[in-house]
Amino acid sequence: MAGLDLGFFLFAAITACIFAIMALGLYVQFSLAGLPNFGHVAFMAVASYAMAILVVRLSLPLPLAMLCGLLVAVALALLLGIPCLRLRADYLAIATVAAGEMVRYLAMNLPDLTGGPLGSMAMLGPDQVAFYNLGWQAMLDRVAAGIAHVTGTPVSRDAAAALIVFVVMLLLLVFFARLEHSPWGRVLKAIREDDVAAASVGKHVVAYKMQALILGAIIGGLSGMLLALQIGVFSPDDYAPTLTFYAYLILILGGMNRIWAIPLGAILFSLLYTGTRFLSFFPLSLFDSGSRAFLRLFLIGLMLVLFMALRPQGVLGDRRQLLLEK
Amino acid sequence: MLLEVVDLSKTFGGIAAVSHASFGVAERSITALIGPNGAGKTTMFNLLTGLIRADSGMIRFAGRSIERLRTDLVARAGLVRVFQSPRILTRMTVRENMMLAAKDQPGERFGMAWMAPARVARREAEIRAQAENLLGLLRLSHLAEAFAGTLSGGQRKLLELGRTLMVEPRMILLDEPMAGVAPVLAEQLLEHVKMLRAQRGITVCIIEHDLDLIMSVSDHVVVMDEGTVIASGSPAEVQADGRVIEAYIGRLDAAVVADAS
Repeated sequence: MAGLDLGFFLFAAITACIFAIMALGLYVQFSLAGLPNFGHVAFMAVASYAMAILVVRLSLPLPLAMLCGLLVAVALALLLGIPCLRLRADYLAIATVAAGEMVRYLAMNLPDLTGGPLGSMAMLGPDQVAFYNLGWQAMLDRVAAGIAHVTGTPVSRDAAAALIVFVVMLLLLVFFARLEHSPWGRVLKAIREDDVAAASVGKHVVAYKMQALILGAIIGGLSGMLLALQIGVFSPDDYAPTLTFYAYLILILGGMNRIWAIPLGAILFSLLYTGTRFLSFFPLSLFDSGSRAFLRLFLIGLMLVLFMALRPQGVLGDRRQLLLEK
Repeated sequence: MLLEVVDLSKTFGGIAAVSHASFGVAERSITALIGPNGAGKTTMFNLLTGLIRADSGMIRFAGRSIERLRTDLVARAGLVRVFQSPRILTRMTVRENMMLAAKDQPGERFGMAWMAPARVARREAEIRAQAENLLGLLRLSHLAEAFAGTLSGGQRKLLELGRTLMVEPRMILLDEPMAGVAPVLAEQLLEHVKMLRAQRGITVCIIEHDLDLIMSVSDHVVVMDEGTVIASGSPAEVQADGRVIEAYIGRLDAAVVADAS
């Protein structure tokens, strides 16, 4: 097969790690606390836009801008959580869908601030191209140089990026895997199963749900910013609602309610997502490459349906547990 | 009185589910709450535990007003309820169900498992021992690792009772604990309830339809009908009360007459 070079695999690996972080945010909200968030992309988008705007317009250093991006994601979580978390779960589901779309439409229609449909590169108006990821690239170069210095072999910027996102993903997974099995995680799971029962034994349900929503927003926001830094230029369409469902697909593919299934789901997903080139065999070779790119989205949808129907527990999940009635 | 209900009212869309109800539950008593279907007994439990808010009236528990408290704070104050149909956490194990309910686990705060692992582990070991002990008492030890969703109806009731005890309550509210339970298990449940009072000094308020059973186990009976308390006293007093007979039997007579015509 042509094009199976290291560059492609690095690209797929970076995508997989960023998507795994994205899915982990949803995992904390949905799998741990049972909060149905259908607008995860909203947290990703607001954090990315806040970061890019602060870098481009106020020339803030990147780490500070990223911190502000996370704070904006937290603010959005509070905005959604304070009115909705006291109500039934359905209300949060609706509010999050709406939030995802509102963020995108705001980004489309506030061109002076966001660059409008043209995206981040038009943030300073039509006359000059705006960059927000110079700091990121400089850091990647430093890391690459560092690795080259230690190992004696030159490494690419992408390899440095892959290493960084992999380490971030791993740290987050370890951190939350430990917490999931701590008493804190037990309370969240109890709330997921039956929040009245949890309240009846003395657990402050709304406070825990708020924690889960905020943590998910922070992780989601981080993944959104990493995605933005990695793709270099983004527009509102990069934060389309489908992104949220990719996160669900990753959770479902790997295995619902299993934190260590997230990387597996993310690898499977990103191979499918980035690997249009794998779809060049007959009879798909009858289509031109543009059509095959759309076919890829169709296959992702088909896979979601097949998994739900045939293997709802995913690759690693526990079917016995899943099939118990609530 | 450990629990005092004063002039409590709650209407749902014009229908008075509880209306100006007043009664008390003495410390270490087993008090029965009886009355025909729709009398407002379960609504009363929902009001007591803060699941719904009263329109007016007062609830005092251990000298403290609790009518405005959230459910979890009522539970922490020591007033815990067992639901009519058990609300166990089916997709968690029996042991997890029990351990969840324990108080004062610092590890329930976010991040504490990382910041103070030793403290969390120490308390966790205590909680685990406490859970094993109670599971042994309830004869559920062999099921500790099973998902709670695999338990039978009666075992679920036992588990919920056990989970309630993990909160270390001063008073428990039992909503029809014997309903739908095999006679042998019902007997066992009843023994547990008596033992709770005798050994742990726990006050019990129990909703039950089996009047013979109630009269034998309780030392005080509160009778509700149409949202109000129509009588209260010792089992013997209540059984002799004309209004109680009317509420139970009179209605029945009327129904028989209506059926016949």
